[in-house]
Amino acid sequence: MARYTPPVQSKFGQITDVIVLLLLTVGALYIPLWLGLAGSAKTANVPENPTWESLGQNPVMVEKWNQLGYADPASAAELITARFDYSFSIASLVVMIVVIVGYYAIMLKLSEKEYRDVIAEKFGESRS
Amino acid sequence: MDLWDFMELAAWAASAVLGVIIVRDWIKTDSSYSEEVLTSSREGELEAMTEEHKG
Amino acid sequence: MAEFDITSKTMDGMGPHGTNVGLLRVLGPAHVWALGVGIVLVGEYMGWNIAVGKGGAYAALIACWFAGLLYSCVAMIDSEVTSTVAAAGGQYTQAKHIVGPLMAFNVGLYLVFAYTMLEAANAITVGFLIDTVAVMTGHEGLDQRPFIVLAIMFLAWLNYRGVLATLTFSLVITAIAFSAILILFFATSPIFGSDVLQHRALMTDLPYGWLGVLAAMHFGLWYYLGIEGTTQAAEEVRSPARALPFGTLAGIMTLLIAATLTWYVCVGLMPWEYLGQAGVPLFDAARLSGSTALMVLLGIGTLFATLASANGCINDASRAWFAMGRDHYLPSWFGAVHPVYRTPYRSIIFLVPIALIFALGAPLDQVITFSILSGLLEYTFMPINVIMFRRKWPLGSIKRGYQHPFHPVPAVVLLCLCGIAFFAVFLGYGTQLVAMISFYVIVSLWFHFRRYRYVRRAAQFTMPWPRPQGY
Repeated sequence: MARYTPPVQSKFGQITDVIVLLLLTVGALYIPLWLGLAGSAKTANVPENPTWESLGQNPVMVEKWNQLGYADPASAAELITARFDYSFSIASLVVMIVVIVGYYAIMLKLSEKEYRDVIAEKFGESRS
Repeated sequence: MDLWDFMELAAWAASAVLGVIIVRDWIKTDSSYSEEVLTSSREGELEAMTEEHKG
Repeated sequence: MAEFDITSKTMDGMGPHGTNVGLLRVLGPAHVWALGVGIVLVGEYMGWNIAVGKGGAYAALIACWFAGLLYSCVAMIDSEVTSTVAAAGGQYTQAKHIVGPLMAFNVGLYLVFAYTMLEAANAITVGFLIDTVAVMTGHEGLDQRPFIVLAIMFLAWLNYRGVLATLTFSLVITAIAFSAILILFFATSPIFGSDVLQHRALMTDLPYGWLGVLAAMHFGLWYYLGIEGTTQAAEEVRSPARALPFGTLAGIMTLLIAATLTWYVCVGLMPWEYLGQAGVPLFDAARLSGSTALMVLLGIGTLFATLASANGCINDASRAWFAMGRDHYLPSWFGAVHPVYRTPYRSIIFLVPIALIFALGAPLDQVITFSILSGLLEYTFMPINVIMFRRKWPLGSIKRGYQHPFHPVPAVVLLCLCGIAFFAVFLGYGTQLVAMISFYVIVSLWFHFRRYRYVRRAAQFTMPWPRPQGY
């Protein structure tokens, strides 16, 4: 196989490539934030006039809350009753699986193609 | 102006000094060595050399 | 191929005046341990406890051990491959030789992002900790930014000046931070007659049931995230085939101990609802133990753990970036080594402003999720990698520094655990997961159709191995 000689990249091209990568990175991090999609939903369900008993706290727990600076049940009630929402739809689960598997499949396929070129150039064409 | 305000200023100053030191050395290095020398590191060559040592 | 001659005074490939200015081989196994454990130990001081919030106290312990199993597989697989492919860039170089260039490019980016984001998270924590101390001494409204910037600048400077000093620094502060956890455990444990731990009264049933256990896996990874970074030192250790497996496996054992002890002490001192959202749980635990000495010790431990972690992250991210530059995957300008300090100095400099942007501008949980996801994508690559490695070069066809036992069981276990972890991330952070993977898909296409034309083909394959089987 003929040796592949890559073109020499200009200074300008090098800088452009780095900027493209940077923009993509910052985009991946900030776009979910801008769209308000980031973070996990956690909702508190605070009863009226909470007492330590109604929050299900035993005397040892109460003592610890006091030591941590939560002197009365009302101040700790929001922390104690906050729960994550783990409900999800099967459709979104399927979308996620397709995205992950698809990503690895595309990548492995393209990698394999490039890898064969590398091996052919390094060791000569396949003997088989 | 208490101790912590002073610490803030000191931290800014120290960061700036470190930044200047790094950038100065960077410019000095880039101008006193050729690009070929600087980018002459090759993967695996050190490996080949250690093997030679043993053999 | 050799343009250097080992017997020559000027062209020996070693000196600043020879043709080859390479990285310096100066590290021992203790440094490898310090690099691995140093990056991760901060996870014990902050972050792991969110797993308690996601599933309750027992869920966090189960997640801790399952994540421990996941990372034991990672460590074994990594030890085998990296003791054979000993070059800077770690998993990136492995992927390049075993799977293919595009995979390698993706892996290189996982590494750089996982570490740079973790570095930013550490710097944010340093700022938070100093603010806490300021408030305790009666100063409200401290500006955290100068301390965040100083932490990053100082560690970048240390890294710039040479790898031996950098990792010796890591070794000392990591050892102190690890000892602080041990001391906290012994000081509070009933073995020595103390009765501050109240497990019986504080432990509750699983608040979310078994689904919560799955969800907790997400932050269970945080107990160990980064241990795979030991491979980045491959080009700088004196004896990679011996030191890397030793340092990595000793590291994972250290972390398993530290993680379990941390869990044990913390859940015995705090109600799980508080622990699940605490900023600095071990510091809180020391506060609740009622001893001022312990509080000061764990405060110092927290600071040291964050610095050691950020330090290791700068080291690892710059090695990966450097290795990609050297292969022209990225502009070759980054593939330069400092002729005196023998560090990849341009990569170190380039990553400083990026770390600063994220440390000063992005929210902490977003930064952490970005880091965890990049890590998770990397662990999913590892079983694929090792299976192809054993297929293309079966045992005996090349010399391996270490062979991991029971192949392919660890690879299959790792792949299953990664699937569970993806599901755990999906519970609550599904959109970020998809955004993140979209990013990698776009970058992959960009690499395959544009960037790859600047890469020399055969020259990428640098290992002195025979032709892979089946090609």
